[in-house]
Amino acid sequence: MLKYTTSINDTKIFDNLKIFETSPIMKLIVRGKSREFISSVGKSLNILLPNEPNTSSSGANVTALWLSPDEWIIYANEINSDDSNSYIIESELINKISNTGLGAITDVTDQFVMLNLTGEKIYDLFMKGSPFNFNEFKKKKGAVTQTIINKIDVIIHNKNDAEVNLFVRRSFSNHLWSWLNDSARFI
Amino acid sequence: MSDNLRTSASKFIDQTTRVSFKFDGKTYFGFKGDTLASALLANNVHLVGRSFKYHRPRGIMTSGSEEPNAIIQINKNSSVTEPNVRATEVEIYDGLEASSQNCWPSVNFDIGGINNILSPLLPAGFYYKTFMWPASFWEKYEYFIRKSAGLGQSPTEPDPDIYDHNYVHCDVLIIGGGISGIMAAKISAENNFKTLLLEEKPNLGGTTIYQKNDYFKINDQYSSEWLEKEIDQIKNLKNLEIKTRTSVAAYHGYNYLLARENLTDHLPIEKKQNTIRQRLLKIRAKKVITATGSIERPLIFDNNDRPGIMLSSAIKKYADFYGVACGKENVLFTNNDTAYETAISLNNKGVKVNAIVDIREENKSDLTNEINNAGIKIYNSYTVINTKGYKKINKITIMKLSKDGKTVTDSKVDIKCDCLGVSGGWTPAVHLFTQSGGKLKFDDNDNIFIPNKYPSDQLSIGSCNGNLELEDIISNINVSLKNFLKIDKTNFEKLKINSSKSISKRNIWLLPSNKTVSKTKAFVDFQNDATAKDIKLALREGFRSIEHVKRYTTTGMGTDQGKLGNMNALGIISDTSNVKMSDLGTTTFRPPYTPLTFGTIVGRNVGEFFDTFRKTPMHDWHVQYKAKFENVGQWKRAWYYPKGNESMHDAVQRESKAAREGAGILDASTLGKIDIQGSDASEFLNRVYTNAWSKLAVGKCRYGLMLNEDGMVYDDGVTTRLSENHYIMTTTTGGAANVLGKLEDYLQTEWPELDVYLTSVTDHYATASVCGPNSKKIISKIIPNLDLSDESFPHMSFKNAKIGNIKCRVMRISFTGEQSYEINIQANYGKSLWEKCMEAGNEFNITPYGTETMHLLRAEKGFIIVGQDTDATLTPIDLQMDWIVSKKKYDFIGKRSLYRSDTIRDDRKQLVGILTDDPNEVLEEGAQIVADTSKKPVEMLGHITSSYFSPNLNKSIALGVVKGGKNMMGQKLFVPMKDKIINVKIADPVFLDKENKRLNA
Repeated sequence: MLKYTTSINDTKIFDNLKIFETSPIMKLIVRGKSREFISSVGKSLNILLPNEPNTSSSGANVTALWLSPDEWIIYANEINSDDSNSYIIESELINKISNTGLGAITDVTDQFVMLNLTGEKIYDLFMKGSPFNFNEFKKKKGAVTQTIINKIDVIIHNKNDAEVNLFVRRSFSNHLWSWLNDSARFI
Repeated sequence: MSDNLRTSASKFIDQTTRVSFKFDGKTYFGFKGDTLASALLANNVHLVGRSFKYHRPRGIMTSGSEEPNAIIQINKNSSVTEPNVRATEVEIYDGLEASSQNCWPSVNFDIGGINNILSPLLPAGFYYKTFMWPASFWEKYEYFIRKSAGLGQSPTEPDPDIYDHNYVHCDVLIIGGGISGIMAAKISAENNFKTLLLEEKPNLGGTTIYQKNDYFKINDQYSSEWLEKEIDQIKNLKNLEIKTRTSVAAYHGYNYLLARENLTDHLPIEKKQNTIRQRLLKIRAKKVITATGSIERPLIFDNNDRPGIMLSSAIKKYADFYGVACGKENVLFTNNDTAYETAISLNNKGVKVNAIVDIREENKSDLTNEINNAGIKIYNSYTVINTKGYKKINKITIMKLSKDGKTVTDSKVDIKCDCLGVSGGWTPAVHLFTQSGGKLKFDDNDNIFIPNKYPSDQLSIGSCNGNLELEDIISNINVSLKNFLKIDKTNFEKLKINSSKSISKRNIWLLPSNKTVSKTKAFVDFQNDATAKDIKLALREGFRSIEHVKRYTTTGMGTDQGKLGNMNALGIISDTSNVKMSDLGTTTFRPPYTPLTFGTIVGRNVGEFFDTFRKTPMHDWHVQYKAKFENVGQWKRAWYYPKGNESMHDAVQRESKAAREGAGILDASTLGKIDIQGSDASEFLNRVYTNAWSKLAVGKCRYGLMLNEDGMVYDDGVTTRLSENHYIMTTTTGGAANVLGKLEDYLQTEWPELDVYLTSVTDHYATASVCGPNSKKIISKIIPNLDLSDESFPHMSFKNAKIGNIKCRVMRISFTGEQSYEINIQANYGKSLWEKCMEAGNEFNITPYGTETMHLLRAEKGFIIVGQDTDATLTPIDLQMDWIVSKKKYDFIGKRSLYRSDTIRDDRKQLVGILTDDPNEVLEEGAQIVADTSKKPVEMLGHITSSYFSPNLNKSIALGVVKGGKNMMGQKLFVPMKDKIINVKIADPVFLDKENKRLNA
């Protein structure tokens, strides 16, 4: 059997801030344009794909983040087992979407590392490395942004008051983790 | 103690906390809240430095960031020492060590003072004129000039302090926490604007906060008392954030500003550790209110630079705010009412004011009446013509001004003094406004430049807007803020304001003297020692533009950027050349407003954060097995794996041999991977690659070349057809992001009709590439149920597989020319997969190899590396890859360019193999290739792009580009080096296994 090794696998606690990597979390990029595509994905996942830019929607099993007019990232709400990388949701979507020509489903589970941040100081940390204006974002539950932190591309999902999920490409995750920990000392 | 000039208590200074500090090696005491300047003045130390050019003794002149003279060095430690710090801005703390600059051996006795005596020989432009010839002597001159150039000492060791950055977004940014800024902050925050108020000093309130004068009252209270209550109120406003010790350095377009927040410079040394010293704020504001105040101007007269000559407003601040008298025998010299406020403050504190010299003929205001009543002598229509006292002023000489102000008359009067306060009026601090692109206009009434046209959503208020009287300031704020913030009313519309009005005005830029200008030293720019004489000389020598005069005389080019001197310089130019001030304009105000430390600019982007890096899933294994890394794009890639004390060459030779004879393994995870789906995926590939894709069977792989629109090779890689409408494309490591961007751009703008979706999966997969004669055996050990027979799984094909429960993709593709399998697996299983390969390959001596060996192996096989063998000037035809260019396809990116007259020339540089006559001679990459060494200049035919010693062929091999090389097979050429000429001949670029026997083995 192959061993499962995440890139971070760590939890850090600072004043009013906790950061850790959540894994394994299934993640899919879902792309398509047509009305049938939207309704088919919606039925399969039992959620409505958000069509307003930079918003999200959540169902019982998955959360969908708007990335562009024909692109969403879907991530599982609960961690899955690390002894398999076949996901029921993925195969169902491939059947209903990819195989019918409605759109494209791509597994990006390990393309992105998902960091969970909780605490009052999340945005004090972000403002040290991100030019994005979080003033409205932090008030709006479900808001999504694709921005940079310390020059690294990230997707940030405002999950709840004082809780966000941050997605960073795996290869950059070590460097971002290092930077987050360094800067969190000074918030 | 006779030297103690602390005259009164001040609530701004904590006189219960004594602070000890050193200046020029001597220990002094001040109080908590003192600046270095106020503490030195309290100890009766005026002389703090020497001027730049003439090394004249100079004293503290101001109380703020405009200080030109008190420029000092902080700290001795060679890592944290800081030059050119203004003593007027440094807050003292226990253990502070400061010293004078630009003097040797000491500030009291400075050898350089000889320059003052030689000054007639050192006019403006001295260096330009003197060191021009003979031209060849410049290097000799430079040696000596460099020695005398510059102020202070740079740190010689890395800075141990920590700095960082913050991005800040607000609705309204207010710059300046004086009375105008406070009022604006309150109005803004109370109207629900997210407001940020920045003040460069440690405390809010500007000059009003210590204004305790009966003639300046708001609602029948001293203006200071009124303002104090306002400050207390705004501190509790929830929409308002206040940052003190924060100075705006730059105001860029679209309300983007940079400010430096000073966090620990004022703290004792033990509290500075492990915390941020200074922070750069990168501010985006929807609206900006500039309330930066104004700077008092000095007056220009002979010897106006002696220690003890200060701005009158500074004397007032030292008295009222710090409780320090700057002198015991004070005289004020003015052209406006400000100096009278200073005189009243001093008089109220029992500090002696000997006289006021006022260039105005008469002056009637509440303030002057008060001075008359106090019995202080006022010399109206008089000017100072000279001062005495080398290291400290001790006497001034005054004479009566003529009616037209151009000459002096009557007899000289001497007045004793140890401190002379000067006031030449006020200059609005419009620096930030003009940095932002604002246009100024000249106000002839007050002789000031004021904001005229705003380039962005911003407003100037208070004295930086030219409102110099309290009543004007407040009424203007009420009117302009309502309009600016689009609100109906402000809280300040019913204030009762009493303020003394300054009625009579008289302005003379260069005061007359009984001597001719050329015999005087009337300083305009104190820091750079530019005098009125220098400016007049520049004009006589034909300089007209203010920008030229500035550079010729260095006026305004010091670290203070002419905050004090520039207006006077303009005035003198205007008078001398008879050009109106409004026509003359100003020099360009450039950021930073006050100097920034490099640390602040850099922030945390130091050490490991200097540049972003990427790691593969197997990175930790490479580290554990002592790999040397090289940067490829942002990736850290294993370069080679030295064993013991092995050199790079030896390691690479060993790795290369092992890969061909046993088995090798490469971490190929960094290659770009793009998932392509959609019913038009094949058509899409037809358009982006030069070759045809429609007929590629499912389960097969194909190599593709991607061109730019200009027909030049842009990227390459293998693309695999996973299913009917599903491909996975690989790109070069460095090109991945650009290729995806380019392809997405084409889909969105050129071919929106195509049903194709692209998704990057570079990071999702870890890729282990196993090659060599034993590779098949190794893979079969890892995935036993996978049919690896050549019939079922030939070269350039792919299969889905599972290792345990984990899905993966296996491609039989090769970049080395050996039989080779690439396993692509979800990244989090990558390290484990790699370890499994090593374990399974152990019996076959599997050898991990790095990028260097990979480069060597592919060069043996004649495979190109885009970016190494190509440089965006080579077409596929130039690369002798005609076979990959489809003649049948209707179009692909770059096709048309391949048929331009220039791209079909026969004598273009073409890729060829190069072999040296001596098989042990390894060519240098980049070396030039020539045909005829005797011809001068030598004609360069081309250059070497890749060169290695091949352990498998036991000779050196190289690739290179040569003009017309395609038709020169076997031809002898030369590679001239520094110490020899190497004989080479053109060869086939495929050095090994041209028949692909190894690939298909």
